[in-house]
Amino acid sequence: MISEFLSYGFVQRGLMAGSLVALICALLGVFLVLKRLSLIGDGLSHVCLTGVALGLLTQTSPVYMSLPVVLAASLGVLKIMEKIKIYGDAAIGIVSAAGLALGILITAIAGGFNADLFGFLFGSILTVGKTEVFLCALVLAALLLFLLFFYRDLVAASFDEAFAHTRGIKVSRLNATLIVFTSMAVVLAFKVVGIFLISALIILPPVSALMLAKTFKQVLGLACVFGLLSVWSGVYLSFVFNIPSGATIILINLLFLVVSFIISRVGRGYGKREGKHAA
Amino acid sequence: MSGAVVEAKDVCFKYTRTLVLENVSFCVQAGDYVGIIGPNGGGKTTLLKLILGLEKGAGEIKLFGTPVAKFKDWYKIGYLAQKSPVSQSRFPVSVEEVVLMGLCYDSAHKDPTAANLKEVYRALRQTRTLDLAKCIFSDLSVGQQQRVLLARALVSKPQLLILDEPSAAMDATSREMFFDLLGELNSKYGVTILLITHDTGEVGKYISKFMYIDKELVFFGDKQQFCHSQKVAEKLGAFAQHTIDHLHNHGRCPLGCQCEDVHGAFGHVAAHGAEAKHD
Repeated sequence: MISEFLSYGFVQRGLMAGSLVALICALLGVFLVLKRLSLIGDGLSHVCLTGVALGLLTQTSPVYMSLPVVLAASLGVLKIMEKIKIYGDAAIGIVSAAGLALGILITAIAGGFNADLFGFLFGSILTVGKTEVFLCALVLAALLLFLLFFYRDLVAASFDEAFAHTRGIKVSRLNATLIVFTSMAVVLAFKVVGIFLISALIILPPVSALMLAKTFKQVLGLACVFGLLSVWSGVYLSFVFNIPSGATIILINLLFLVVSFIISRVGRGYGKREGKHAA
Repeated sequence: MSGAVVEAKDVCFKYTRTLVLENVSFCVQAGDYVGIIGPNGGGKTTLLKLILGLEKGAGEIKLFGTPVAKFKDWYKIGYLAQKSPVSQSRFPVSVEEVVLMGLCYDSAHKDPTAANLKEVYRALRQTRTLDLAKCIFSDLSVGQQQRVLLARALVSKPQLLILDEPSAAMDATSREMFFDLLGELNSKYGVTILLITHDTGEVGKYISKFMYIDKELVFFGDKQQFCHSQKVAEKLGAFAQHTIDHLHNHGRCPLGCQCEDVHGAFGHVAAHGAEAKHD
């Protein structure tokens, strides 16, 4: 059964793209969750709707059309946070609402919802093309290089932005780079899990990993493992039972979260909190 | 050590329409131990943020003779904020790793050297947190976290320590140890200290200068002059000055109540505000 499943070209491409996207989302997600910016994936995914609608309206690739739109929106979030001095979640909410409203408006002008748009909303991993797989690999390679060179700065800035600044770390630049990577991840992920579920792929694997891991590197590793396992099992189950792959991937991630929570409670239940060192 | 460590000239700052600081000018010399006091919302924390370049306002601030925007020698400065950055959530870094963040690395991605770790353990010994070195930082109590964060501020052997109400979450023993350590750093090693505090009673024996901020610079000078400043008398009333003076000299409130150990001099001023105004 599995060998038959793996023999299809579209399955191979879907699994490859899904695995690459899972790794990108997991690695980025760890920093976004710890910086309390995890909902930026949700906000930017709504902006994707504008890009997709524009793509369908102009008969161009929704992926290529979404990329500049989401990049501009991500920079918009940063500027709103910096210049207007409002909380990050409010800035994300503003950009998200604008993206969703514009997307709906353009879709209506284009003649309403259709099957193509439905695929982008809920994911269609098995329609991923070679170019998209290549793009995913390129973004993952760039992200790995970024993490390699700025790992310590990123950990320090995620832990305490103000103090990181007083160590000479360029916190604003790091944040901007993270958000630009997130916007690329969001665009690449909408075929894998769909616009509505991208943020779950960014949030769930890191949160599960944070419950179990004892070191920062373990969190990164475990988040990647959860992301990959969820994509592989999700695609396989959707193939076998003919169910939507995006939703299956996210539900498997939720299962990992519940299991991680139970393991963390059992493992730490008696020790950690009660064993807090007395001051 | 001699010379100006922090110079501020006509510093102004506003949050949208609310004026927080107006025309604040002062010069902190090397070896000074400055207690920054004033009412809540008077602009004390904002002033520290401006000194550290965390906020941008009008006027000029220099650190060791260099405008703060161009300042690069961050290892000369240790900073400890009012609140722990991760008091609520789990952040998977050990105490040792947190203190390491206080060192300015030449290269962000290199592993710490044996010399780096030696400095970390020195700082942990100084703050009596050596036994916590391998613990997860976010599993510690808030008071323990503050002591570890003080170690992080001290690890680079700073020439200037900037501390924003650091002792609020500490118990009486930790607070005494904390202020004794700051006193020793100042008197023995000539470390310049800027300390926002309401614990004027406890810290008073070490402080050499007071800075009273209430949107403007009400007073900056030797602590003995504080009790004779006409401007302070206009702001607080002569009774408040007398209370602070009495506490510093006798360690108890002239009204004979028992709250001096808890609140410090400004607690008394608040507690006896009516009398202060009346006087």
